[in-house]
Amino acid sequence: MSAALAEPRSGRLVLPLTVNGRALRVEAEPRSHLGDLLRDGLDLTGTHLGCEHGVCGVCTVLLDGEPARACLTFAGACAGASITTIEGLDTDEIAGELRAAFNRAHALQCGYCTPGMLIAARDLVLRLPEADERRIRVGLSGNLCRCTGYAGIVRAVMAVIGERRGRGIGPETGAARALGPVGARIGETIVAPLQPATAPLTPVTPAAVADLTASFVPAHSFAQGLDLAHPPEAVFALLGDIEAVAACLPGAVLTARPTPDTVEGGLQVRIGPIAATFRGRARIARDAAARSGSVHGAGSDAGGRSATEGRIRYRVEAGPTPDTARVELEVGYTLTGPLAQFGRPGLVRDLAGRIAADFSRNLDARLSGTAAPASTGLNPLRLLLGLVRARLTAWLGRA
Amino acid sequence: MKPAPFAWERPGGLAALLARLAGAPGNVKLIAGAQSLGPMLNLRLVEPDLILDITGVPEFRIARVEGDTLVLGACVTHADIEDGRVPDLTRGALRRVAAAIAYRPVRNRGTIGGSLVHADPAADWVSALTALGAEVELAGPDGRRTLPVERFVTGPLTVALGPGEILVTVRIPALPAGAAWGYVKHCAKIGEFAHAIGAVRLEPGAGRGRAVIGAVEGPPVLLADARPLFGGRIGTDFAERFDASAADAVLRAAGMADAVERHVHVTVLARAVAQAAEPAPVHLPEAA
Repeated sequence: MSAALAEPRSGRLVLPLTVNGRALRVEAEPRSHLGDLLRDGLDLTGTHLGCEHGVCGVCTVLLDGEPARACLTFAGACAGASITTIEGLDTDEIAGELRAAFNRAHALQCGYCTPGMLIAARDLVLRLPEADERRIRVGLSGNLCRCTGYAGIVRAVMAVIGERRGRGIGPETGAARALGPVGARIGETIVAPLQPATAPLTPVTPAAVADLTASFVPAHSFAQGLDLAHPPEAVFALLGDIEAVAACLPGAVLTARPTPDTVEGGLQVRIGPIAATFRGRARIARDAAARSGSVHGAGSDAGGRSATEGRIRYRVEAGPTPDTARVELEVGYTLTGPLAQFGRPGLVRDLAGRIAADFSRNLDARLSGTAAPASTGLNPLRLLLGLVRARLTAWLGRA
Repeated sequence: MKPAPFAWERPGGLAALLARLAGAPGNVKLIAGAQSLGPMLNLRLVEPDLILDITGVPEFRIARVEGDTLVLGACVTHADIEDGRVPDLTRGALRRVAAAIAYRPVRNRGTIGGSLVHADPAADWVSALTALGAEVELAGPDGRRTLPVERFVTGPLTVALGPGEILVTVRIPALPAGAAWGYVKHCAKIGEFAHAIGAVRLEPGAGRGRAVIGAVEGPPVLLADARPLFGGRIGTDFAERFDASAADAVLRAAGMADAVERHVHVTVLARAVAQAAEPAPVHLPEAA
C-alpha cells in the first residue's frame, strides 16, 4: 500500500486521502478498513486495533473532523476524506491540554486505549456545554479502558472542559456539516472488481458420531408442536424416511449415509444477511412402539469457527380429531463461535417457529402426495434471492 | 477479524444503483454507514461477493418537510438528527432517540435507513419509528411503493424488501400539539443493544394512541390502538390508568413465555408511559 501509485493492482482501489494534512494516494483492497490502511500502509501505528467490531473504541480517528470507528470504515467508503489520527493532533490545542490533564490525573496506565480515548475526549471537550461528570461518563462509554477504572480519565476531561469554559470558550454544535456518514463523499463513483478467487479452504473433518454422547446437555432448548391432518402412523413412517425428512427441512442436504442409523450432510443457516453452512454427522434413533425418535448431530461451518451440537426428540401423537396427528418436538442445541454472538436465543426461537411452519407444510404436502418439495439446500439462485430479500430460509443450527 | 474479499462499487446516482442491483451476479449487499454490517463483515458472518456503497447517492442524503411529514433520506445519520441538522416535527422526540444510539463515533456514520433495513429487533429506530407511525419509501425495478414501518420489518433481521428493491426515504409524521411521547430503553451498559424498549405516542385529546414493546424476539410488538393498556380509554389521566397486567397479557399472547422477561418489558413500557406524562427536560438525556 505505498503512496502515489498510478494503476492499482487487480481488485484494488486507489484512494485520494488527506492524512494528518498530507494529500496522499493510497492503494488498498476494498475489504481493508481504515485502521489497517493507516497502520500497515502508512505506518501510523498510533491508531490501535482492539475488537475490530466497533465496541472497544481504540481505533477511533477523526474523519472529516468527526470521530469515527476506523475498524468499521472500509477503504472504499472514505475516498477523498480527510483523516486525522492521534499523530496529527501533536500541535492541536485541545489535545495538548488533554495530554497535560491525562498526565496530571493519572488517566492512563498501559496506554492501549489512550489514542482513542483522547480523540473521544477531545470531541466531548468541543461539544459538551459544561463539565458534567455523568455526561462525560456517558460520552466515554464507547471507549473501553481496562486499567484505570475511568476515574482519572473522567477527572482529566472534566478539568479541561471546566478550564476552557472558564476561559469563555463555548461548545460547538457542529450544525454546519453536510448530511450523511462522515467521510463519505456524495457522487464519487468507485469500482473495484473482485480479485480472482483464492484457493478454497480445506473442509473441516466432521465430528465423529462416536463423539455424540447421550450425556449431551444443550445450552438452549425449546419445545415446538406441529399439527398435521394425517394419521399418526403415516406421519411416524415418514419421519423414519431420513431422505424425505431432509427434503422437507429447509436448508438441509444429505451427502452420505455410512450406516443405517448415521447420516452426513449439511444444514444451511440464515439469519437476515448472515449465512453459514454447517457440515457434520447425525445419529438417528427410533422407537416404533412409542412412536418417538431422536436425531442427534454435530457440525461446524466452513472455516470451522462456529460449531453446533443439537438434538431433536420427537413423539407422534394422535391429533384432536381422527386421522390427525400432533408431533411434539423437543429441540436442544449448543452453538459456539462468531455465529453464537449474533444468534441470540430469542432470535433462534423466532426462526425455529417459522422453519417448523415450513417443515410442517412440506411434510403435509408429501403426505398428501402433492408436489414433493425440492430440497432447498444449497441452490445458488435461492441463496441469492434469500440474501436480497434478507429472508430466513433455513433452520438455525442442528437444532 | 478481517472480512473475506469482496468487490466494492459506489454508484453516483439512484438509477445507476438500481440498475447495478438488478444486474449484478452473486451475493450483493448494500452498505451505508457500515455500523451494523461492518461488524458482521469483520466477523465473516456475512461474505458478499459485491458491496454496493450507497452513500454517494445524493437522494439518500436529504431532509425535507412535506406538509406534516418529515422526509429523511436513507443515509441521514443518527448524529445528523441528534445535532438538529434536520428539521424537527416531533418536538425533540427524534433527537432524544438519536442521541442515545450506541456511541458518538457510531452515530457519526450509522444511518437511519441502514438501521431499519438491518432490522435488529433491539435497534432504536425499529421500535421508535414504529411507535411514531413512520413509513418507508422503497424503490425497485417496478417503481416506488410506501410501507408503514410495522409492515416493513417482518422479523429479526428481516424486512419486506423485494429483489432489487432499496429503501429510499423514511417518512415521519409530525407529533401533533397535545400528543405525548415516551421512549425508554433498558441497557445493562450504555450504548449496547437494548434488552427492552418501551415507546408510546398518545393523543389524549383525540382519545387514541400507539404503543410499542421492542427488543423482543421478533419484530416490535405494536398496539396500533393502545387503549387496552389504559383500561379502554386514553385521556389526560393516561399515566394513572396504565394497566401493567394488560401489557403482560399482550406479551404473553405474543409468545413471550418467560415471566422475568415479560416483567422487564412491562416495567420499561410503564416508564415510557410515565415519561410521556411528564416529558423529560429539554436537554438531551444522553448527549454522548
